[in-house]
Amino acid sequence: MAGAAEEAQLNRLESQVDSGGGGAWEYLCLVRKLKARRSEKVLKHGLSILNDAKDRSKLGGEEWTLYEQVAIAAMDCQRLDVAKDCIATLSKKFTGSLRVGRLEAMLLEAKGAWADAEKAYACLLEDNPLDQLIHKRKVAMAKAQGNISAAVDFLNKYLEIFMADHDAWRELAEIYVSLQMYKQAAFCYEELILSQPTVPFYHLAYAEVLYSMGGLENLQAAKKYYCATVNLTGGKNTRALYGVCLCSVAINQLIKGRNKEEKESSELQSLAAEALLQDYKHRAPGKLPLLTTMLKNMKLIS
Amino acid sequence: MGAECRYEVAQPAYIKLVLHALKHRCYPVGGLLVGRLSDADASTVQIADAIPLTHSQIGLLPSLELALIQVEEHFGAEGLSVVGYYHANERYDDAELGNAAKKIGDHIFRYFPRAALLLLENKRLEELLKGKGRGLAVQLYTRDSSKSWRQAGSDDSSQLLTIKEPSANIVLLDYITSEKWQDVVDFDDHLDDISKDWLNPDLFK
Repeated sequence: MAGAAEEAQLNRLESQVDSGGGGAWEYLCLVRKLKARRSEKVLKHGLSILNDAKDRSKLGGEEWTLYEQVAIAAMDCQRLDVAKDCIATLSKKFTGSLRVGRLEAMLLEAKGAWADAEKAYACLLEDNPLDQLIHKRKVAMAKAQGNISAAVDFLNKYLEIFMADHDAWRELAEIYVSLQMYKQAAFCYEELILSQPTVPFYHLAYAEVLYSMGGLENLQAAKKYYCATVNLTGGKNTRALYGVCLCSVAINQLIKGRNKEEKESSELQSLAAEALLQDYKHRAPGKLPLLTTMLKNMKLIS
Repeated sequence: MGAECRYEVAQPAYIKLVLHALKHRCYPVGGLLVGRLSDADASTVQIADAIPLTHSQIGLLPSLELALIQVEEHFGAEGLSVVGYYHANERYDDAELGNAAKKIGDHIFRYFPRAALLLLENKRLEELLKGKGRGLAVQLYTRDSSKSWRQAGSDDSSQLLTIKEPSANIVLLDYITSEKWQDVVDFDDHLDDISKDWLNPDLFK
């Protein structure tokens, strides 16, 4: 999961390599590190290194990692011929390896040969019952075949064993959101916030789910988590600032006519509105009138 | 009502929504449709433009609400309002209109009773890319009296969804070849970086 700064660095490297400025290996390493999905670029630049014997030998032992990375990128781009070649090369060097076996099974997946892929994974699992990547491939296969309930099932069983896998919790949360199962998604984000309380993304995602659930308690909680995000991101996160505004408006609508004491203090939302206005003034002046009208209609600014 | 309602989609709207889907092949995408009732013929809805919304967080409300407010505000000045929603599924084989899209459609229907849902037809798009097939790469859905969304005009003869420009698909293919989809900005992108404009003013220049 890449933050904004890392994403920017990746994009910079990508344009550099694309325009012939070199740095392909650095780019490929960063893609691997950030687990970004840039398969077309990886395929293009990875292949150009692999096809050049001099470049290849410069990599030393890392050559095999590149073969693996290119094989997966090739499968993503449906260049199964390239994938097959890379896997064959790896297979010759590392006969009987689990890692290569996984790639071979992934190739079956890419071909759409689900039954064969399942068999291959089952075989690998016999000797390696706790291999996380294989378990996750099962989830991926279920999802790819449109069997979302099976994917959810597998993922839940996976998390019972590997409960520290943040990516898995996140994947499960996103699947729940796509099914509008907000309560279950909220639970996943709660787990993530508990284990990594300083990651702003989880607070933000949690707030968005709470807001979508609606109801006074959820909106009040959502506002708190939007605020936490604002805190953790130094007030730079646009969604969080907007979120504070949206929550305030929604909450005030729900408690209209109630005791005046319960009314939300307007300082927080005015500050958020002000921060948005300042940001738009500097970075998106064309949209400033639109934003101003919107905030005025929401009674967040005068 | 809605049985004889026709929808005429403008070329920029059609092309934009397809490009949006192509930019994010691994994700579901969605966007708003803006338009108005035709002056000439009150049973026709003109879909003038498409505003790309999101590529991933389809089920969440905050950005949808923000977009609806800002889109209505911006296009209200031109006499246009939100008339529908377009959607493209995550998976190639998935030709079903999912619940998330229907819910958004229901919401829009409350404000515009002739709301349309357009679902990208992956297989038809693929045929177009191969140079075969004709017609638009989207399927129209409208709400019937039992409040459910049904495919409308599934046979070409009824022509409930049309496009004025006959060469729209040719222009589309042109843009696809030049990878124009890279330049599409959606509301999600805007929220990540407000200097990006979800109106895509320079897209077709």
